[in-house]
Amino acid sequence: MTGASVPGAGGVGSGGVPVPARVARRPRGRVPVGLVVAWLVVGLVLLWAVVPGLFTAYDPIAGVPAEKLRPPGAGHLFGTDAVGRDVFARVVHGSVHSLSGALVAVGVGLLLGTLLGLLAGAAGGVADAAVMRVVDVLLSVPGLLLALTVIILLGPGTVNVAIAVGIGSVAAFARLARAEVVRVRRTDYVEAAFGSGGRFGAVLWRHVLPNSLGPVVALAALQFGAAILAISTLGFLGYGAEPPTPEWGLLIAEGRNYLATSWWLTTLPGAVVVAVVLAAGRISRSIGRERG
Amino acid sequence: MTRYLLSRAGQAALVLWAAFTASYVLLQLLPGDSILIKFQNPELGLSPQQIAEIRAYYAGASPLADYAHTLLGFLTGSFGYSIDTGTPVVERLAEALPETARLASAAFLLAVVIAVVIAFAASYSSASWLRGALLSVPSLFISVPAFWLGILLIQIFSFRLRLVPVIGGSEVQQLVLPVLTLAVPISAPIAQVLARAIDQVYAQPFVPVIAAKGASRWWILWRHVARNAVLPTLTVAGLTLGELIAGSVVTETVFGRAGIGRLTEQAVNAQDTPVMLAVVVLAAAVFVLVNLLVDVLFPILDPRLKGAAA
Amino acid sequence: MKGSTPMSPSRPLRTVVTLTLVGLLGACGGAGGAAGPAPGGDGTPVQGGTLTYLEHQPPTCLYLPAAGFYPNGGILNQITDKLTWQNPETLEIEPWIATKWEINEDATEYTFHLRDGVTFSDGTKLDADAVAANFDVYGLGDDKLKLPVAEFVNNYERSEVLDPLTLRFHFDKPSPGFLQGTSVIGAGLVSKKTISLPYEQQCQLKNIVGSGPFTLKNQIVDKEVDLVARKDYNWAPPSSKHQGRAYLDEIKIIVTPEDNVRVGALTSGQADMVRYVQAYDEQTVKDAGFTIYAEPTRGVNNGLYLRPGNSLIKDVNVRTALRLGTNAKEIVDTLFTASYPVATSVLSHLAQGYVDLSKELVYDPAKANALLDQAGWVNGADGVRVKDGKRLQLGVFVSGPQPLSKQTLELVAQQWTKLGVKLEIRPADAGTQAVDIKDAEKTAIQHGMVGRADQDVIKSHFHSKNRDVILSDDKKLDRLLEEESAEPDVSRRNAKVAEIQRYVIEQGYAIPLFEEPQVYGAAPYVRGVAFEAVARPWFYSVWKARQ
Repeated sequence: MTGASVPGAGGVGSGGVPVPARVARRPRGRVPVGLVVAWLVVGLVLLWAVVPGLFTAYDPIAGVPAEKLRPPGAGHLFGTDAVGRDVFARVVHGSVHSLSGALVAVGVGLLLGTLLGLLAGAAGGVADAAVMRVVDVLLSVPGLLLALTVIILLGPGTVNVAIAVGIGSVAAFARLARAEVVRVRRTDYVEAAFGSGGRFGAVLWRHVLPNSLGPVVALAALQFGAAILAISTLGFLGYGAEPPTPEWGLLIAEGRNYLATSWWLTTLPGAVVVAVVLAAGRISRSIGRERG
Repeated sequence: MTRYLLSRAGQAALVLWAAFTASYVLLQLLPGDSILIKFQNPELGLSPQQIAEIRAYYAGASPLADYAHTLLGFLTGSFGYSIDTGTPVVERLAEALPETARLASAAFLLAVVIAVVIAFAASYSSASWLRGALLSVPSLFISVPAFWLGILLIQIFSFRLRLVPVIGGSEVQQLVLPVLTLAVPISAPIAQVLARAIDQVYAQPFVPVIAAKGASRWWILWRHVARNAVLPTLTVAGLTLGELIAGSVVTETVFGRAGIGRLTEQAVNAQDTPVMLAVVVLAAAVFVLVNLLVDVLFPILDPRLKGAAA
Repeated sequence: MKGSTPMSPSRPLRTVVTLTLVGLLGACGGAGGAAGPAPGGDGTPVQGGTLTYLEHQPPTCLYLPAAGFYPNGGILNQITDKLTWQNPETLEIEPWIATKWEINEDATEYTFHLRDGVTFSDGTKLDADAVAANFDVYGLGDDKLKLPVAEFVNNYERSEVLDPLTLRFHFDKPSPGFLQGTSVIGAGLVSKKTISLPYEQQCQLKNIVGSGPFTLKNQIVDKEVDLVARKDYNWAPPSSKHQGRAYLDEIKIIVTPEDNVRVGALTSGQADMVRYVQAYDEQTVKDAGFTIYAEPTRGVNNGLYLRPGNSLIKDVNVRTALRLGTNAKEIVDTLFTASYPVATSVLSHLAQGYVDLSKELVYDPAKANALLDQAGWVNGADGVRVKDGKRLQLGVFVSGPQPLSKQTLELVAQQWTKLGVKLEIRPADAGTQAVDIKDAEKTAIQHGMVGRADQDVIKSHFHSKNRDVILSDDKKLDRLLEEESAEPDVSRRNAKVAEIQRYVIEQGYAIPLFEEPQVYGAAPYVRGVAFEAVARPWFYSVWKARQ
């Protein structure tokens, strides 16, 4: 879920104790095959989102009822669903919905969270304490519960679901951003910038923000995968995109009922989601290692 | 030390109150209408006028008085009545809580076991490909949608192989698959933190020295990793609590268990605000308490932090 | 002990032997009803055993008039009895708790004579007083206790207890549907104590005390209901072959929301019977050697109901065009099975007063397009028709209780794309749905059906004071429905129902799709499965054969 834990990105413990980033063991100079594959997966999926027509000729919305529930084969790479739509076409055309949903979710979390964290870390004192208590409150309510409440509040729909998921990740971003800012602030050059009469805002913008961003970007990549999963879980609980939108989460959630008879309906879109989430995690780790 | 504890407890209480107030306000804003959802059943043949009367019956005097009343109720352990079923919310929570507690605690234990096995196996394996493979297992674990995993597990282990029944069967049999479903995603962050702690131990300058003195690999791992890994693991464990609760919503729905998760799902569906409020506050309370406990344990487990805490 | 082979010559002897054995055991155990049916391998019912029955959803409020919801009915049908029994095959009303009855000519007075010796499970008598207390609430409601009026009682005035076993109901207008109304699931009889409880408490299963063949043993809210047979039950409908206590000892009703888990549990032997087998799983169940029961619901068909109050479809020609552009046969062929007959009218062909309108219900996209052209809707840039700057885009909610509602609507949306009409499908979440579904502008179309084996079912569906699915402002429709409801003569009443069906189609209020059944799956050893007239299971006569 959009949980608060920050695996792989060098998170911050609840007592303010930093969890050290992973120590790199790989010798320098070797090509990281996993990372290359991860970027390839993400690149392919991005292409699906931008030019779906290049990858499939089938219509994702209008199927041929007579060709329903065909197993995967030469004609239909991922088979067809109960109303005769090509599942591969639905996955390809669905990528734009799922990716933009996850992007919005991460965007909301990143923006709100980083802003809060930056404010708290830079201002310090009472403001810091106040903001961090707000973050504690956000953190204390499980992401899914928060998301469900927000969805009911905003109403269903792809964007609203994405915002709901994003709000669940605000706390994680805020904590990380604050810790980074506090760390960077203590470095000599920032102290020097302040010392030489730099204005608060300018120093924040020119020195603190860019130097704190690395781990935050790593977390964003990780949350991107988590958001795709969270959106699909909400789809399973009945709060997904509007039909017949071929959103990935919905594809998996709906296909599950056909598991006994038509395994491909849930398994193949599921495999795509797992691959993308894995790739996002791998990329997140590589960013965390380089910059963190 | 006492001052530290008091201030932490005070903060925890403050967070809880804020969580209560925020969710209270949020739930009051809901556009839906639980009364309408419940009473619009056409078989009852209620007129809009009668529904308005029922609504007046449930509504409080003024928003502020209502808030004070609800808050006082929560402080005295009375969470009001479920609009959906008409039963006291406390009763519904009391019925559902043990089921979820069993599921979540068993899942958490299993998650720790899985995490330890993965982390230690990875650090012990000398072949780098095996190590890499083992270390990517946690990433895989958090990349799988939990409901999907649950359904696959049921299909394979219960319906195809017929190893464990999901309907009927003993309490233990009924727990096996849900616990596994819930434990898999929870184990991932714990395994990652553990693996990182092990890496750190190996990076310590003293390791080659004591290894040269003849300390076995296992002994080093056990003696030093245990010390170094326990703190970050505790932290992550405290943080996974939210995921345990979120995961139980999905797991209980898939497996048809009547716990807090299922209660939540139904309350959300019926917009049963008293139940939703109670669930949110309960989740927040558990989260805050566990993390308070972790914070209190920190200085005890790690003497270095004692000074910092005071 | 193995079951005897069907044609075994020694069967009669063996039966006698086992009968004696069981008799002895029964006597030793001190259990009541020792004279129960003999066990046997094939046709002879076996006494005892537990039936595991998987429900799709948990029960909601169990106040009896709200019992139409199938999960509620599945429980209440076992623990309550009714005044009369509607034979599911002939749809005739037969005696049950009422041994006989008289109805005056204009159907304003009903006199019922009750069976002697019937008791509720709390030991109190089921007498005229208790029945009067029940129907006074069902007919008039109770404001103080917040008990609403029941849908199946019309024009109720008062009850009159003539003697402990005789009572008369008075109506201020003719109420010809009342006799059938006494047989429906919502008319289950409960003890005087139960009926005098406030609404919230009557909602809870533990407070429902009936006279049925089973009683509540244990309930885990939202998960499981365990029912146990009443040993002294001896008042089944006289037409039932089985008399005395139920064959089963216990029924475990377990809520299993996941479709694939229900079916998997059935075919892997973890459950005996399940409700709501989806169309695509029927073959799986059959292939595993299990039985599918597709029970008709005999009411208003599963269909799309169009709201004339919506500004885009206030023109009858536009509504007619939508019907002509909907291919119900393709929907059934694609998504459903033979258990779901294509609709040939507004009502199911097994409903009372049904008239065959299949000539009207044809698929004619060319004519549909022509009608839309005439109505001034021109093709827009994105393929959706436009008129006066408005797009022909209609909202509909996915209907939770209807099988494959989402897929059905998606298929309709595909068909309507060819007309240049956009169907906007909204996921079913109770929150926004409760508010928006009453707004014709936001929700132009409703997807639904309603089951009840009486002519009044069409009134329940369409009348502006009942379910009012089309948010009707059509005075003529209301008048026709009221005339139907107050017509004491059966053939004239049926003629009225036929007229209403024609009218509803002419006005383009309905796009009937198919006759919705309730589909159950059961293990081959589950015998004696029976249903009431609207497909709710009746476990009284069910028994489990030896495997």
